[in-house]
Amino acid sequence: MDVRIEGLSKSFGSNQVLKSLDMTFPERRFVTLLGPSGCGKTTLLRMIAGLERATAGAIYFGGNRVDHLSPGDRNIAMVFQSYALYPTMDVAQNIGYGLKVRGIPKADRAEKVGVVARVLEIGQLLARKPRALSGGQRQRVALGRAMVRKPDIFLMDEPLSNLDAKLRATMRGELKRFHLDLETTSIYVTHDQLEAMTMSDLVAVMDQGVVQQFATPEEVYDRPANLFVAGFIGSPPMNFAEAELGEAAGRPVLRIAGRALPVPPQFDLSGAPSRLTLGIRPQDVRLAAPEAPDAIPGTVWMTELIGSERLIEVEIAPRLRITAEVRSEIRAELNAPAAVAFDMAKLHLFDPGTGRALPRR
Amino acid sequence: MTPKALLGRVALYALLAAVTFLVCFPLVWAFFTSMKPKDEIFLWPPTLWPSTWTLENYRALLQGKDAYFQAGAAGGGQPPPSAFFLDWFLNSVIVTLGTTVISTLVSTLAAYSLTRFRFPGQRAVPYLALVGYMVPSIIFVFPMFLVMADLRLTDTLLSLILGYVCITLPFCMWLMWAFFRGVPIEIEEAALVDGASRLRVFWEIVLPTAWPGIVAAAIFTLIVSWNDYLFGRVFMNSMENLPLTVGVMHFFDGTHVDWGLMMASSVIMTVPMAILFMALQRHLVAGFGAGAVKG
Ligand SMILES: Nc1ncnc2c1ncn2[C@@H]1O[C@H](COP(=O)(O)OP(=O)(O)O)[C@@H](O)[C@H]1O
Ligand SMILES: [Mg+2]
Repeated sequence: MDVRIEGLSKSFGSNQVLKSLDMTFPERRFVTLLGPSGCGKTTLLRMIAGLERATAGAIYFGGNRVDHLSPGDRNIAMVFQSYALYPTMDVAQNIGYGLKVRGIPKADRAEKVGVVARVLEIGQLLARKPRALSGGQRQRVALGRAMVRKPDIFLMDEPLSNLDAKLRATMRGELKRFHLDLETTSIYVTHDQLEAMTMSDLVAVMDQGVVQQFATPEEVYDRPANLFVAGFIGSPPMNFAEAELGEAAGRPVLRIAGRALPVPPQFDLSGAPSRLTLGIRPQDVRLAAPEAPDAIPGTVWMTELIGSERLIEVEIAPRLRITAEVRSEIRAELNAPAAVAFDMAKLHLFDPGTGRALPRR
Repeated sequence: MTPKALLGRVALYALLAAVTFLVCFPLVWAFFTSMKPKDEIFLWPPTLWPSTWTLENYRALLQGKDAYFQAGAAGGGQPPPSAFFLDWFLNSVIVTLGTTVISTLVSTLAAYSLTRFRFPGQRAVPYLALVGYMVPSIIFVFPMFLVMADLRLTDTLLSLILGYVCITLPFCMWLMWAFFRGVPIEIEEAALVDGASRLRVFWEIVLPTAWPGIVAAAIFTLIVSWNDYLFGRVFMNSMENLPLTVGVMHFFDGTHVDWGLMMASSVIMTVPMAILFMALQRHLVAGFGAGAVKG
């Protein structure tokens, strides 16, 4: 069942948390709401769940308006960040509670709970109380409680954020697997871009109550719609630099740190302002020989080993530093001269006034 | 175990034994005294162990008014105070249970709404309630007596119930408020998403989770209303309407004190509370909510 929201706004007092959102979560897709803490992800999810009332706008499930329905009547399941297991019930009762409320007979209930418990490998825990479970086990129980009812929509609010790094990596795969098995529309909230990029069919990047870009993970990464998305997605973050749009030998160039770089042909420069913000990911920057034609010379400011790669920060103009991600064998002396070169095919250009990416041909 | 640890252990047990003795000795003394005939109570030097055992004191307390009238003693005169003991006992039970039911019920619902719904003054109410509880009840009792008199409720058990509710409810509400604040609201939201109605959520999720708090509030109310003397003394006057605490004071009559009856009454008053407390205390387990949320 698809989920569509129209002009959805939410304010807490004078604090406008969501600003007139329009979007469609396609049927059976795994959609992630990604954004920094406080941008309104949880609020949006809770409104879809019916736990929070919209200030304005409408929510449709499969074409039917659901704003007036209480959470229990929306046939959704939700995994809370805190898991929110019922502390006085054992694991079997926790998973089966939604079935019990819906009047499913005891025997059926036990069977369904058993099936889910087997899938989640928590069969041996059914008689335990939540307080006797580890974080990972609680997480599975919370998932089981959501899965057992065969919901139309599966909502998850940072379900992995309380797990340690190793378990989180395993659970990412498992969650994606469950989604594929359940064949439901899943909406997943996270502030972790790795989770968003690895699990999602579509990512909605949010900031300050506005969806900045809603696209596939590849597109969000390769063609960020604006400066916020460009800076938020990717690690280490994208390099930004001011550049002047000019002309040399009849062809458009970008003037940066005393150099003129030809503007890559993919950009449509009609209506572009004369000052632009150039963006380039550290992975698309290499160290170059200073005499190479596209090299921008500078001095090494800082180097940092990150496992198999090394980050080298080169100062190419006063207070303008560009980070290059290179293989760890490549070394650089602090304060030594160095030059960087950009992979121009991977260049991003933004209008610094609006923050929007320049249109591409 | 090192000698030092052993010494520490011995000191600890000695201290515990001393405290236990201090707490229990009066109870034990009261019990043995209640089993002694009158002339043995004032023996000098005093004895702990009765040389003759008698249930005379208990018989006097438990026979009730009817037995007195049937015996046809003292033509038409007022029966002795001990004949009213069963009335007093019943009064205390009614008042205590009534107060406990009202106080815990109202405080639980009030505290729940204080933590779950937004309204002006939400934060101030629990603190004000606590301040109210800290004012000694002697300040309230006379104004309240005047109110009861206006309502024509003096000398009724209802006046006592209302009085005790007034002094116990604020503290119970504060207690339950502190308790509900620790119950994460996501648990209830999860149940709503699971399809339960608000009422069902309260009944099946909130109440079981809050049970230890409710038991604590109930025990507090039981103790206060069972042991109160002041309100009973001020609000009540007819012999058959007194609560136990005020009633047993009639075993003093200015010239002499009937210690045998006093001690037997003390034992009878202590036993129900002791049993109740032992039955309830296992519900007071801490860490009830652990595991519901992260951590
Ligand atoms: N119940 C509430 N009352 C007032 N403000 C709230 C409430 N819930 C959330 N907010 C505010 O809304 C903003 C977005 O919150 P939230 O949706 O939880 O962000 P996120 O999940 O993206 O971190 C925050 O500024 C937060 O303070
Ligand atoms: Mg959140």
